[in-house]
Amino acid sequence: MLRLADLWRTTTVRLTALFMVVFVIFAVLLLALISWQTSVQLQRQQTDSIDREARQLARLDATTGFRAAVEAVGRLSRQPGPGIYYLALPTGEMIVGNVSDLPAEVLAEPGTYSFDYERPQPLDAAETQQQRGNAVVRSVALESGLILVVGRDVVERRGFTAIVMQWFAIGVGGILIFSMLAGGLTAVRVLRRVDTIASTSRKIMSGNLSERVPVTRRNDEFDALATNLNQMLDRIEQLMQGMKEVTDNVAHDLKTPLTRLRNKAESALRDGQGEQARREALETTLEESDRLIRTFNALLMIARAEAGTPSGALHDIDLSAVVADVAELYGPLAEDRGLVLEASVGEGHRLRGNRELLGQALVNLIENALKYYEPQEGKAGRISVGLRREGDHLLIEVADNGPGIPAEDRLRVVERFVRLEKSRTEPGSGLGLSLVAAVARLHKGEFRIEDNEPGVRAVIELPAA
Amino acid sequence: MKILLIEDDREAASYLMQALDEAGHITHHASDGETGYAMASSMDYDVLVVDRMLPRRDGLSIIESLRAESDHTPVLILSALGEVDDRVTGLRAGGDDYLVKPYAFTELLARIEVLARRSSPTEAATSYAVAGLSLDRLSRKVERDGEPILLQPREFRLLEYLMKNAGKVVTRTMLLENVWDYHFDPQTNVIDVHMSRLRAKIDKGHANPLLHTIRGAGYMIRE
Repeated sequence: MLRLADLWRTTTVRLTALFMVVFVIFAVLLLALISWQTSVQLQRQQTDSIDREARQLARLDATTGFRAAVEAVGRLSRQPGPGIYYLALPTGEMIVGNVSDLPAEVLAEPGTYSFDYERPQPLDAAETQQQRGNAVVRSVALESGLILVVGRDVVERRGFTAIVMQWFAIGVGGILIFSMLAGGLTAVRVLRRVDTIASTSRKIMSGNLSERVPVTRRNDEFDALATNLNQMLDRIEQLMQGMKEVTDNVAHDLKTPLTRLRNKAESALRDGQGEQARREALETTLEESDRLIRTFNALLMIARAEAGTPSGALHDIDLSAVVADVAELYGPLAEDRGLVLEASVGEGHRLRGNRELLGQALVNLIENALKYYEPQEGKAGRISVGLRREGDHLLIEVADNGPGIPAEDRLRVVERFVRLEKSRTEPGSGLGLSLVAAVARLHKGEFRIEDNEPGVRAVIELPAA
Repeated sequence: MKILLIEDDREAASYLMQALDEAGHITHHASDGETGYAMASSMDYDVLVVDRMLPRRDGLSIIESLRAESDHTPVLILSALGEVDDRVTGLRAGGDDYLVKPYAFTELLARIEVLARRSSPTEAATSYAVAGLSLDRLSRKVERDGEPILLQPREFRLLEYLMKNAGKVVTRTMLLENVWDYHFDPQTNVIDVHMSRLRAKIDKGHANPLLHTIRGAGYMIRE
């Protein structure tokens, strides 16, 4: 089952966490910038309004006289709000105002000051209300000689910042919780999908090769992965099946000659035969082991060709030369056996391939045609070897006019070790055509056997480069 | 001929040593790569027969080291790896010939003898002559007792290879490898047919045949 530690290990959760950290850092930076800007702006506004009020009061004092100013300041100082007003005699004695403990220097020298002060308590105020305030003030000497102090309590301004901070914290917290949940949920979902794949692969590893990763109908990236995995598994299963067949066949077709070999050696040892008989037995043993080696080599070659040689082993080769060479190699032999080997090889056909394997495949086809040729009255045996291009394919053909292969056997003969009944007596491993098929597949082509009416036409069809 | 055999399978090695001894060669044996390399670089051999997979040091690295030290003693590589690529790797490492296990002793012997010959200076010869038979590689003319013989290009190459190794046995696989450049194993007597045609052209009507079939081994041109 899912545990928190598993969850933490998932990419989704880690990425979510990373994004959250980055987000919070940016948000804090942004907020700091905004609140700094706001506070600068607020401060400027405050200073502006303080200045404006101070100017208005000074003008009032200058034009209408100090009584009007005293009246105005008295009125203003009674209004609720952050305003601080103070009007003093040149000696510093307070005439009117809403603060009591102004620092001495404020009255001594005109200018702008910031200080802590005892906030005046409204009568209905609760006990707990904050007593000390912080003020920004401007003191001005009026024409009448009085000293005017106009200011604002900045605690209110600070309160505004605190509110912004509070909402910010709530917002960030909300986002953190939400993204944690979202990340976690996604991770759980991903983890579940991955878990199904993992459990399937565990089942396969424990031996159940037919197990497959379930594919949902969501058609998402996991389904794409699952489909690919399943295809890979199909291929592996198919290869394993092939391997099993090979081992079975190897067991059968190598054990039989090995047993013969052993019997031969045993009987040569046991019997009180003469030197000549013993010599013959040894020679047969040697021949038998050569045959075994040949079968073994053919098997290895097929296995290599079927496993797909690394592309480094495929080179740009002159297929025309390969076909012409092999046809030339076998021409005299065919003639000796009373057949005619004709070659019609188109020039200059090249492709990426393995020259040795293609050569061997062609040799197998020609040797097959030679092997199953039956001389008939009034009919000349003929093998034609050809290479031509048809569309975007190169066709290597070996056709004869021999006995042919019955239609129902044509697919079967390509399988390993399959030898038709009548050919059992001929020497051979039964691997020749399987090798041809494997070589064709290695070159992404196909091998087929057609009716030549009469005879066999073996065709290797390869995609042209 | 002095041969160094580097092979870790003691049974195979002792069989080979005995057989090479019977064929008239002096054979030394090393059973691992390091010893083999030490022996090959300290003593003078005509041919080295090196197994590809050896304990302590692999065969190809021995050959590469020797070649790097400008030691050009001919090397025959023995290997169970028989794919074309393996062969190419072996020859690229500096091997002169490559024989896949299991092999017939006659095949090994023929290859060793041809290899030893290779290091002698006749390599660059432009013409060969055996008794009355002569072959000119430049004008591509073949004559027997002054009579010109017309050969197909492939027959010419066959004869050229045989005459280059006159007096030595060449096997059917050697012919297929060197004349046709294929390394597969023909299951029919395809080479023999070519040889009998060549024989008809060079020996027909002459009292003493030059092209001999060596039973169980291959062919040889000699007087």
